[in-house]
Amino acid sequence: MALEQLSDVVQRCQALPDDSYTSEDHDVFTISGRTCIEEGDSAQVLSIVLDEKNQEIVRCMGWNLLPPLIQVLMNKDSEKLSQCLAIFNHLLQTCRPKELLIGLLEQLEQDDPVAIAESLHLLLKPLQRVLLCLGSRKASSLGMTLCSVLDQLAKLPLPHTKEQEEDDVFSLCRCCNDITDFVKPFVQEARQNLQNREGNIQRADRVGGELGRDKEDELRTELLKFCMKTLSHTLLEAQLKDPDTLPESPLRDFATDILSSLSAVGESLPSLVFQPLLRRRQVPGFLEEEVRYPKESLACLAHLLFVHHLAADAFPSVFSPVFALRCNMEHVCLLLSRTEESRIQKGLELYEKSLVRVEDGSLPADLLEIRSFLTVPQNLVKVMTLCTRHDLRTRGLKVLQLSIDKLNTEAKYNFFQYMLKTSSHSGVEGYVIKNIKNQIDAALQPGNSNSWFEGAQLLPLLRKVLVLPDGPETDLLQYLDRIMESLNLLRYLVIRDKVTENQTGIWTELYKIEDTFLKPLRVGVNMSRAHYERELHDTLATKRGKVKAESMLSVSVGKEKLPNMTSESQIQALHSALHTFDMIESVLVRIEELTEVKENL
Amino acid sequence: MADEPTREWSDEQLKSDDLPKKDVITFIQDNAAHSFLNEHKLLGNLKSVAKTAKKEQLIIAYNQLFESKRFKGTEPVEDVTEQIRTVKIEDKKELPAEVIDEGPPKFKKAVLKKGDKTNFPKKGENVSCWYTGSLEDGTVFDTNLPTTARKKKQSKPLSFKVGLGRVIRGWDEGILTMSKGETSRLEIEPEWAYGRKGLPDSKIPPNAKLFFEIELVAVD
Repeated sequence: MALEQLSDVVQRCQALPDDSYTSEDHDVFTISGRTCIEEGDSAQVLSIVLDEKNQEIVRCMGWNLLPPLIQVLMNKDSEKLSQCLAIFNHLLQTCRPKELLIGLLEQLEQDDPVAIAESLHLLLKPLQRVLLCLGSRKASSLGMTLCSVLDQLAKLPLPHTKEQEEDDVFSLCRCCNDITDFVKPFVQEARQNLQNREGNIQRADRVGGELGRDKEDELRTELLKFCMKTLSHTLLEAQLKDPDTLPESPLRDFATDILSSLSAVGESLPSLVFQPLLRRRQVPGFLEEEVRYPKESLACLAHLLFVHHLAADAFPSVFSPVFALRCNMEHVCLLLSRTEESRIQKGLELYEKSLVRVEDGSLPADLLEIRSFLTVPQNLVKVMTLCTRHDLRTRGLKVLQLSIDKLNTEAKYNFFQYMLKTSSHSGVEGYVIKNIKNQIDAALQPGNSNSWFEGAQLLPLLRKVLVLPDGPETDLLQYLDRIMESLNLLRYLVIRDKVTENQTGIWTELYKIEDTFLKPLRVGVNMSRAHYERELHDTLATKRGKVKAESMLSVSVGKEKLPNMTSESQIQALHSALHTFDMIESVLVRIEELTEVKENL
Repeated sequence: MADEPTREWSDEQLKSDDLPKKDVITFIQDNAAHSFLNEHKLLGNLKSVAKTAKKEQLIIAYNQLFESKRFKGTEPVEDVTEQIRTVKIEDKKELPAEVIDEGPPKFKKAVLKKGDKTNFPKKGENVSCWYTGSLEDGTVFDTNLPTTARKKKQSKPLSFKVGLGRVIRGWDEGILTMSKGETSRLEIEPEWAYGRKGLPDSKIPPNAKLFFEIELVAVD
């Protein structure tokens, strides 16, 4: 039935002059042709398509047969495979490239991972062939194709572990390979255009002309967009493995190819990475800088260059480590401001790599006037305190310490002040106070003295440390980390610094510290202890009396109410609180003894 | 030097008063070998040479240059380097005023090919250069020189703003003493290179003295 219809319409059309087929002819040809292929009459369709008399018909309407053909080709198991492949190849040779392009792109749109990978694998070669046929008009079509290819790629699950990348269950790695092969000739052409154009410009300069200087090479622009999108999508999500872990990594190769494509289309990798600090001249006529060089893509690029050392040959080893750090700070800032773990991990890695190159104690205080140098530590605090992954939290702390080590004394001093003011987290503050203690200790070593961590400059910093945030009412348990480190610091000072030398100024400051810190702390400890002893007493009484008191509080996590604490665990918690107060008090008493003895002397 | 300079002026033109001495001196300084300039007492800055040299001397030197073909680059580079290495580099003016107690510059420069002596880069200006960096044992750790001459058209020289701390200190300070067209060999102490840390990712070990051959191709 369908076959008869197809033969009829083909015969009718044979009599018509070129391209004067009606829309009804198109419809009948499309519907009957597709049905024939679906019903397995591909042998007959093949002979019609190959018939010398029908070539004009095929040229105009043949592309309509693509959908069922591609279905067969993708499933592979049909016995009609070879015939369908023959029809497909003949269509690719005969039909007009524009229509073929549309037909092929439509078939690229898939939703199921297997189909996505299969269609990319099957269609990228034909698409490349069709695009190359378009000659100099291909840039926008290439752009469209690359855009839809990357959208498809983004739907595939990324391999995370080494094994996943090796197994490549979802064929993402194979797709990356296919894409690399697909863009190769276009990158080559763009490179050639660029060379020709530069030759022309040099010649034009010699005769004083302006030949084609401002004309943007569209092909280059499309490829640049592709590279940028690959960086900010696929490669920013992916965790590349080092050659030691995975000697042959398709993803790493893909990233390397993207970097070399960038160089090929005339983008210098150092200028891209250092972009945040180098105002580029506007490229006339095309995209705004932000759109042309998306920040996330540049951050990903910096990560590939500095952490994975891809394209190391194309990156000069003449830049100063401080300059590289300054530029990378912008990228780190962007990466750490996100909540996705892949971004955070990349941000930490890039920050660490950039810091390691810098000499200890060398970064000057004026760097802390740059916004990113203040934002990044705040982001780090968020990572250390809120990130759900334990390894990232500990890594965050490690990087924070590394960043402190790189600052010079003045910068350290300013940084500590800034952190005490902004971090609003007892643990972080405690950590900073521990660092202050280490710096004072270093300053008190013979020959190490500096003006920041002893004498007059030190006191303002100490005053920020040796206080209770809310006076005697301070929640001692919440602020425990901070309070304990402050007490440790004070104890250290009165032991290490002799009252006769008073290098740190602590001895003349003691009476103030007594008022702002020690006295309120003693009051606080006594109040808290009384309160908790009372609680403990009540809880024990309740337990003995077996009276189930209705709890005043309930804790919910994600709308689910947690069961009330058992009285055993309540008692345990109260005991541990009391134990904590004992601990605070013992250090307090020790400090009192140390200062009293000295006063008596 | 690949091609020899061509005679720009005839004898008539040379004798004419329309041709200033300075032009002749510049031409000879730009094109003649170091030893040739030395013999003819034409070394030194343009003004002082113009004061001491008579026009007749210059004409003789000019003609001899083309007879003897002792153009720049015709004598072994080592000789030139050796001679210039002994010349103390005067760049105290280039050091920033606020930097004190740093002692002498931590780099040495040997000019391999003179520049135009007029286009010296200033701080913040964009410079472009070809370079090759090697370690004391001769290992090349980085270069942007294309491997073949044909490829030179395909790649671009490295360009950056000089004197702003974007590159290692030795480069910043060294390039500020160079003029456009100059090729020099910089020997940079670790303090003004990658210091105690080195740059292990780029094959530069800790405390490495670095050697760069730099051609300053553009200043703008």
